[in-house]
Amino acid sequence: MTSGLSATSATTEPLGRELADLASVLRQSTVEVRTGGTGSGSGIIWTTSGLIVTNAHVARTERAAIILWDGRTFDGEVTARDPRRDLATIAIDVGSAILPAAAIGHPTDLRTGDVVVALGNPLGIAGALALGVVHVVEQRRGGPRWIRADIRLAPGNSGGPLADAHGRVVGVNTLIANGLGVAVPVTTVARFLGDAEVERANVKYRGDRAA
Amino acid sequence: MAGPTTSSSTPTGGVLESLSNDLAGAVDRAGQSVVAIHARRRIPASGIHWRPGIIVAAHHTIQRDEEITVSLADGSSVAATLVGRDPTTDLAVLKVDEAKVPVASFAESSGLRVGALVLALGRPGSAITASLGVVSAIGGEWRTWHGGTIDRFVRLDVSIYDGFSGGPLIDAGGRVLGLNTSGLSRGAALAIPAETVNRVVDQLLKSGRVARGYLGLGMQAVRLPAALVERLQMPNDIGLMVVSAEPGGPGDRAGILIGDVLIAVGDTPVSDPAELLAFLGGDQIGKPVTAKLIRAGEPTTVAITVGERPQQSRGSRRGR
Repeated sequence: MTSGLSATSATTEPLGRELADLASVLRQSTVEVRTGGTGSGSGIIWTTSGLIVTNAHVARTERAAIILWDGRTFDGEVTARDPRRDLATIAIDVGSAILPAAAIGHPTDLRTGDVVVALGNPLGIAGALALGVVHVVEQRRGGPRWIRADIRLAPGNSGGPLADAHGRVVGVNTLIANGLGVAVPVTTVARFLGDAEVERANVKYRGDRAA
Repeated sequence: MAGPTTSSSTPTGGVLESLSNDLAGAVDRAGQSVVAIHARRRIPASGIHWRPGIIVAAHHTIQRDEEITVSLADGSSVAATLVGRDPTTDLAVLKVDEAKVPVASFAESSGLRVGALVLALGRPGSAITASLGVVSAIGGEWRTWHGGTIDRFVRLDVSIYDGFSGGPLIDAGGRVLGLNTSGLSRGAALAIPAETVNRVVDQLLKSGRVARGYLGLGMQAVRLPAALVERLQMPNDIGLMVVSAEPGGPGDRAGILIGDVLIAVGDTPVSDPAELLAFLGGDQIGKPVTAKLIRAGEPTTVAITVGERPQQSRGSRRGR
């Protein structure tokens, strides 16, 4: 590939347009999470019925205000929290509404140098986009523990999506280490959601017995 | 589980995807010739398989001269010997007996343009790392603070992470434009163009060192009295005061005294230590040079035979 990037408008114009389109789609699936106190974090609309995935360090309280990109605000309940994986779920009651859930990608397909984008509320700037590349791919059986990206994140990006060039979410932006953006892969989110489901079932079972 | 299934709705899939593929492909190809060099504590540094069996690295990351090993892209590790180092350009050259990984492929030097999309690669361990950015400034030939000559000034808008120094700057086609270092610029990202690396590699392979002229004098810029400047009709009012003289060094042998103020070497006025360093190229070694001085308020001249700068053996800990 030599000609593709040699600064012809034939490439850069569609590039800018695609990036803008991708940002606007991803922005619909990104929420602001407010738990009162200082600052706010981000979250990802995981299901159309209103399950939000964010970081455990963002969802510190039992309830959180969820603000959608279109301004609709919901009172959310933190339904599961895993400080070790730094993940949490927040449920909001959207009635019969259908939320724009994020498209989910495959972190195991990421290669070093692949383009990634982050959406979130860095330093309170709602719906801000950042562009970067995958910095390193961890060689680990069962997929990477972290996705490390050369991308500029800031407090407020926490809990928001890291997505591939298709706009498919591959990770939950979680921390900044030595300048690198570090995200929890969505494969870990899937395991976390599975565990949370089992946990809920157990609680229900115990509850049934007690009744 | 109530999680979503993988959605096939792809809002994009055109140029952004091909950009991603190009960049990942470039990293994959160029990464084959990027090595990890184990010659310091903490994390390894990066190097480039520049010519068959020849590895180039950043001098400041090579903190020992022996027991150096190199990890290759194929996962193997080989012993390396230090051919030589040039602290003035922050380059070091290593030799390995067998490297079953490809040699870097190089871009035309015209590829170095302001705004060019570039990747900085590193291998601070087993995995390749990449950062994306652009060339932010290009300038002409410049001199490093240690007196080395770099053919072009190449400033990068690229984040510096561990393992950055010694890795290649590549274009989106995976071809090497230069070697990155943070050791020449107080932490800013610079690239040494491939042409400079080639020149230094040639010199190091030939003689194991890049020879530099040497006077054995420590200098400090000082402002001279206006009356003196006027009387001597000097082009400027700054001279270099000798603050130390290495015993037995070229300056000491020529009779230079601490407190002398150097104002010119040969016909070249010097008002900045960098100008003196620039004058002291390898071609001056062994040649007599007339130093114009002010001693005790009076002008005088002293003939000095330029010596050769002793080799600095180790990398400093500056930069990553």
